Amino acid sequence: MEKRQKRRVWLVMAALLFVAAAVLMFAGQGEEPAPPPLEVDFPRRMRSADRERAERRRTQVLPMLGAADSGTVAERPRPRDPLLAALPRGEGKTAVIIEANALRHSPIGGLLMDCLMRDGGKQLAEFREKSGVDPLQDLDRLVITDEGMMLSGNFENARFKELLGERVSADYGEGARVYEAGENSVTRPDGTTVKRRDSSAIATWNNQLLVVGKSPDEVKAAIDRVEGRGPDEPPAISESSTYGEMYGVLSVEMIARLIPPEQAALAQRLRDVAKNVELHLDASSDVALVAEVRGPSANDVTDLGKSLGAALSLARIKAQAGEDKDLAQLLDFAKVKPDGDSFTLEMAVPLEVIRERLAICREDRQNAEKALSSGKEPQETGVEQAPVPVR
Amino acid sequence: MSPVLGIAGYVLREAASRKFIMAFMIGLTLVLAVVALGMRIDVIDGALAASRLFGQEVRATIQSVDVALRPVYRAAAFIVFYGGILFGIVACSDFAPSLMSPGRIEHLLALPIQRWHLLAGTFLGVMTLALGGTLYGTTGLVLIFGVKTGYWTVGPLVAGLMACVGFAAVYAVMLTMATLVRSAALCAAAGFAVLVGGIIAGHRQDIAKAFEEGVSRSLFQAVTLVLPRLSALAEAAGDMAASLPLEVRSLGTLLVGVFVFGMAALVVGFWRFEGKDY
Repeated sequence: MEKRQKRRVWLVMAALLFVAAAVLMFAGQGEEPAPPPLEVDFPRRMRSADRERAERRRTQVLPMLGAADSGTVAERPRPRDPLLAALPRGEGKTAVIIEANALRHSPIGGLLMDCLMRDGGKQLAEFREKSGVDPLQDLDRLVITDEGMMLSGNFENARFKELLGERVSADYGEGARVYEAGENSVTRPDGTTVKRRDSSAIATWNNQLLVVGKSPDEVKAAIDRVEGRGPDEPPAISESSTYGEMYGVLSVEMIARLIPPEQAALAQRLRDVAKNVELHLDASSDVALVAEVRGPSANDVTDLGKSLGAALSLARIKAQAGEDKDLAQLLDFAKVKPDGDSFTLEMAVPLEVIRERLAICREDRQNAEKALSSGKEPQETGVEQAPVPVR
Repeated sequence: MSPVLGIAGYVLREAASRKFIMAFMIGLTLVLAVVALGMRIDVIDGALAASRLFGQEVRATIQSVDVALRPVYRAAAFIVFYGGILFGIVACSDFAPSLMSPGRIEHLLALPIQRWHLLAGTFLGVMTLALGGTLYGTTGLVLIFGVKTGYWTVGPLVAGLMACVGFAAVYAVMLTMATLVRSAALCAAAGFAVLVGGIIAGHRQDIAKAFEEGVSRSLFQAVTLVLPRLSALAEAAGDMAASLPLEVRSLGTLLVGVFVFGMAALVVGFWRFEGKDY
């Protein structure tokens, strides 16, 4: 009898334990689906969307010259992208293209717009009214070069005359107009107007391109390249490299200047070893950067890659020790991939990190928009500026 | 408690005399030795710059050593977890049936100990064996990579301990099966069944969607609610080994839950063993 009672105790205990186990496991694992692992899609090659985009941009057909001159049937030139044609030619040049329109419609673009319009979009509206250009709609790409910058898009409604003040202008080539250096009226925040001497030269081409340079010769050279009068060298960025939301080539000198002073030895090593740096930034989801560093000596380039990898690792350790979680997270994805006479550096910032950092902009924008709709003047927030493509 | 320890010691002596277990330990030692001697790792300022296995480059990416070792430790944690449980099922399936074999069981039952001491001692002995093997393997791995890279982490060791908890749940069912049927094959089959059930239970939310809403789904959810969530534990062990954020809500609660399941299964064995005539 006692044995049977003892057995019953075991059975009851087992049942209770099974119930307890089920409850504990249920509570421990949780029933909500696990978030997907953090993965970043790095821009390593052209994707089909990039190819289609490049295809759509081949709008310029150069006239056939060979047939008339020699009497032979000349090969019809391939249509090309006028902006790529306008880029500087030769090695060691800097040309970085920002896909303004694609960036604007990316997740990070929305966040950046919040920061740009912290005044509720007042300055942007003023600029739109004054210039006839809506940067959010009409601007397609922005290029930064050693010589200045270029903008591509639809500038049919642009009021260049009002924008460019009393500059002397003249037609140039087949479809360009060059505005030389001159005086420009600038309205101050208090409403007064001052005249400023602007030494830069500006050229427009077929209402598609706007070239800003340090001198008239520079902008004319860019127009020459577009209209087929430039050198035969390939442009700084080939069409096969037009992927990502920002891409281009940077001169080694420019990259070296971006390296912090405490890493001066690394900067010097970069100057000594690398020939050029090609970069691609993807912002379609997270922000991912791929930079390809190329140099004449494979051994030196590999050593440089190792030094760079070590510097990044050290920075990550410091960030972790200093509890700078964002930086540590950014450097989590950092890696260097050596490949003969080149290496690629990959870095990424998860979108959530950027979202957290820029959350303040959204609040400011919402507050400003509320203030504008209620007829009050929004409070100054500090870092606001409408995008002004032309000075 | 001492009778339980005595039986555990008896099981360990039994294990030591088995060539299968010895071969496993020698194999594990050889694998560790091969990794230790054949792998060359270059680390510069905390970055893994190059690694070679027997002179062949196995990794060309330069990145922080802890980030680079994440997949290695994660893979090791999965191998230890599932490989360890599978090996444990095969290697330990006949411990209990042989302990209960005619002639031997009568001798054991004649000892001045309670019946449940026999099962608890066997369970403790096998778990000591599993713990020893796991700690040997994971400590060896951590030491090798720690010395070679300068990066030290207890993640793989903790993952190994978690694998032992998973095995405890599986072996408790095997032991209870031995009290029902004295067959090593059936014990192993019960172990495999719990392992498969445990993998399914860990993914029950995803799998439940495949069932039509209604009785079949509710039945599936009810059954898998009780089973040990081994795949969830394995995932957590992998995350722990790789020093990644855990996906489970509370690791401690899950671990205790799986262990309590094992205890419940063992108590069923006690109940059955107490009422059995030999």
